Amino acid sequence: MPSVSRRSALALGLGLPALMTLASCGNGSSGSDGAAAGEPQQGGTLTYLEPQTWTTLYPPAGGFYPNGGLINNLTDRLLYQNPETLALEPWIATALPEVNEDATEYTFTLREGASYSDGTLIDAENVVKNFDLYGIGDPERALTVSEAINNYDHGEVVDATTVKFFFSAPSPGFPQAVSTINSGLLSSATLDRSGEQFGPGNAADLIASGPFVVSAEEIGTQITLAVREDYDWAPASLGHEGRAYLDEIVYLVASESSVRVGTVTSNQAHIARQIDAPDEAQFEADGLVLYAAPTNGVNNSLSFRFRDPALEDIATRQALIAAIDRQAIVDTLFTANYPLATGALGAKALGYVDTSEHYAHDPALAATLLDEAGWVAGADGTRAKDGAPLTLTFNEALPQPRSREVVTLIQEQLAELGIDVQLLPGDQATQDAARAEPGKVQVYHSMVARSDYDVIKSQFSSDNRNALLNGHPDGTVGDEELDALFAQIASTPDEEGRAEASAAAQAHLAEQALILPLFEEPQVYGHVDAVQGFSTESVARPSFYDTWLAG
Amino acid sequence: MAYVRRRIGGALLVLVLAFIAAYILLAALPGDAVLARYGNPDLGLTAAQLAEIRAAYGADRPQLVQFFETAGSFLRGDLGYSIQSGAAVSALLAEALPSTLTLAALGLVSAVALAVAIAITATHPGLRGHRAARALRNLLRGLPPLMVSLPVFWIGIVLIQVFSFQLGLVPVLNAGPIESLILPVATLAIPIAAPLAQVLIRSIDEVLAQPFVSVARARGATNTWLLSRTVARNAVLPALTMAGLLFGELVGGAVVTEAVFGRMGVGQLTAQAVAARDTPVLLAVVVISTVVFVLINLVVDLLYPVLDARLRRSDAAAPTRRAAVAVR
Repeated sequence: MPSVSRRSALALGLGLPALMTLASCGNGSSGSDGAAAGEPQQGGTLTYLEPQTWTTLYPPAGGFYPNGGLINNLTDRLLYQNPETLALEPWIATALPEVNEDATEYTFTLREGASYSDGTLIDAENVVKNFDLYGIGDPERALTVSEAINNYDHGEVVDATTVKFFFSAPSPGFPQAVSTINSGLLSSATLDRSGEQFGPGNAADLIASGPFVVSAEEIGTQITLAVREDYDWAPASLGHEGRAYLDEIVYLVASESSVRVGTVTSNQAHIARQIDAPDEAQFEADGLVLYAAPTNGVNNSLSFRFRDPALEDIATRQALIAAIDRQAIVDTLFTANYPLATGALGAKALGYVDTSEHYAHDPALAATLLDEAGWVAGADGTRAKDGAPLTLTFNEALPQPRSREVVTLIQEQLAELGIDVQLLPGDQATQDAARAEPGKVQVYHSMVARSDYDVIKSQFSSDNRNALLNGHPDGTVGDEELDALFAQIASTPDEEGRAEASAAAQAHLAEQALILPLFEEPQVYGHVDAVQGFSTESVARPSFYDTWLAG
Repeated sequence: MAYVRRRIGGALLVLVLAFIAAYILLAALPGDAVLARYGNPDLGLTAAQLAEIRAAYGADRPQLVQFFETAGSFLRGDLGYSIQSGAAVSALLAEALPSTLTLAALGLVSAVALAVAIAITATHPGLRGHRAARALRNLLRGLPPLMVSLPVFWIGIVLIQVFSFQLGLVPVLNAGPIESLILPVATLAIPIAAPLAQVLIRSIDEVLAQPFVSVARARGATNTWLLSRTVARNAVLPALTMAGLLFGELVGGAVVTEAVFGRMGVGQLTAQAVAARDTPVLLAVVVISTVVFVLINLVVDLLYPVLDARLRRSDAAAPTRRAAVAVR
């Protein structure tokens, strides 16, 4: 879902030398008022820096962080997922839904009086219209189906405040799905728009019911949200009721990371998203705060594409796991905000199981395993079997932090054992094209943020993201058992059953040496200390409802 | 007038070739804009869902059909829609062009002013006397080669760090219309001014060595008179040629400057479109840049005879750059 693209001017090949952190050290405290927490104050304009411009406000396509950061503050959802506990709570729905035994029918009761910013009410008819679009999509209008909603059939209006949704197969992930930004509620008129009409230039015409509304937009550079004075239906577990504290939020695009960091540290803006690991130290100064939020999904990991001839032997995959020094990667390239992964999922993610025993670093064992697997060192030091050299191509995970550096470090580590690592060059479209084609990429670097049991299925199942390339384009599936385990997670109606199914899938991934989890990937924000009450939703998108400015 | 007609014909040919070349290059890359937007794992679409969307965009048809359709709608003046955002390309350009033209025009004017200032000071005969003066002269002459070797983004970031973050003189983001132009214009002007100054210095040196200058000086002409009446006119032609060519640099500089300063403009639009493989936007940018480039160079060529009487002879087939350079 989410992604944090690191593309900036750098992507154009204009690479910025690291030397440019030069002048900015030690100026952090300039001008900060050193405000301390106190009673929340109403009013003020917050400036927020995004590395990239938003592309669409159609909620199912809102996973891209610049989109999600807006949608999260513009829309309400039926349920609220508490980012601390990951438990679901009432929001526009007055209670958790009634669900039938096999999780194919859900009934929600809606609160009365909640309205869109154009004055129309959130009623049963409107809610059904929302999910009939999000659950099925409309390719004619280039509106995609929401990844989070599985097996959707149709919705029904029971009465003005009661809706019922029907599914063609069990869909236990649905309550969590309605809490994500991908299910942000929109007015009926807005739902009639085409894909283009959700894009830049239209933001002020999109009508939602959230605590902020779009008040101004400059395509490509900035968008301004204004508070909605009559907002009165925030989730109960949030810090206050009524309207949001801030009067306005200005989202500015600042693609160059040194500009983002410097603008906040010199107190010209309040808060910036995506503070790169090497820049974190600058926020240790007085008056500055670093905020690292976990993304609660599949960890930043390497997926070994086991149907490729080079990796079909489990011993080869185990050798890679033993050969790669994850601790060195985290220590060299990242900070304490990027904890070493202990399993396929983040430690706070739903269904997490610790499988770290499978991921011990042991270069000697790696060499033995490679020998056993028949990979013999050749004249140039690269191992080969039956004349085929052990060459592995890694993709560059452009949205993930420092993917190129990670692969380069692994390249050095594996070269010592006679494994040749290549990095697939190219932009996102090139990477996406190669990702789905057998033989192009042997080791796939990626992550997914989403706080539901389904996330592991999203990442690995052959009919979702297919990270292991278990399913080939010709329709064949390499490991049917693995797919069945994932299907189990998405179709078991009760929570304990889903947790068990998830644990079984994680065990299979670990025992078959299919993945090597590297670290838990956070979203890192940096802000001045005048910003109080800043928080993020369950996969680390900014929530400004409780945020206020001190001083 | 036959000359002007021929030049316009040539310009159109350049335009068509640039369009075709850009299209072929974009089509030759693996993946396309629809894939870039919807094939991204972020959306988690299945292969079948992706195929439906591709069909809705017509991206599944043969390349040749798509090419003629795109070319046809460009001829009708319909630039299409950005695939990445769905916004009309004409709307995106309408938003981006004024800001970039302002930046580019101010950048060019500042660059010319800077280049002229450096060139005139560095070639001033008064700087030949004292040792200190000679040192200054050498310093000034060393400046353009230094400036030309600084990358634009580096200049931009250094300017931001020093003048905004350290000294706090100008805000970078969210600045007023004039404040927000100061640093970007400076960033753009420095690398453009450098080659201009180099060419100017060289041609002023050459003109000053001409016999007619010695004659004029012998008859009592002052340095200022010489400079404004004879030397400048002779020295400006190569610089003008250079200025026309530098427009390309200006476009490249705008891409970087706008990305670094978070300014909306054609450069920023291009950077975003390149990242998203947004073919309709890129084609429109290519066409517009080509038109402006060709226009500027046409104007430069037409200016030669105005500036230099020797190029005004009616029997000359056409004033060409080669002729302009040859007479100096």
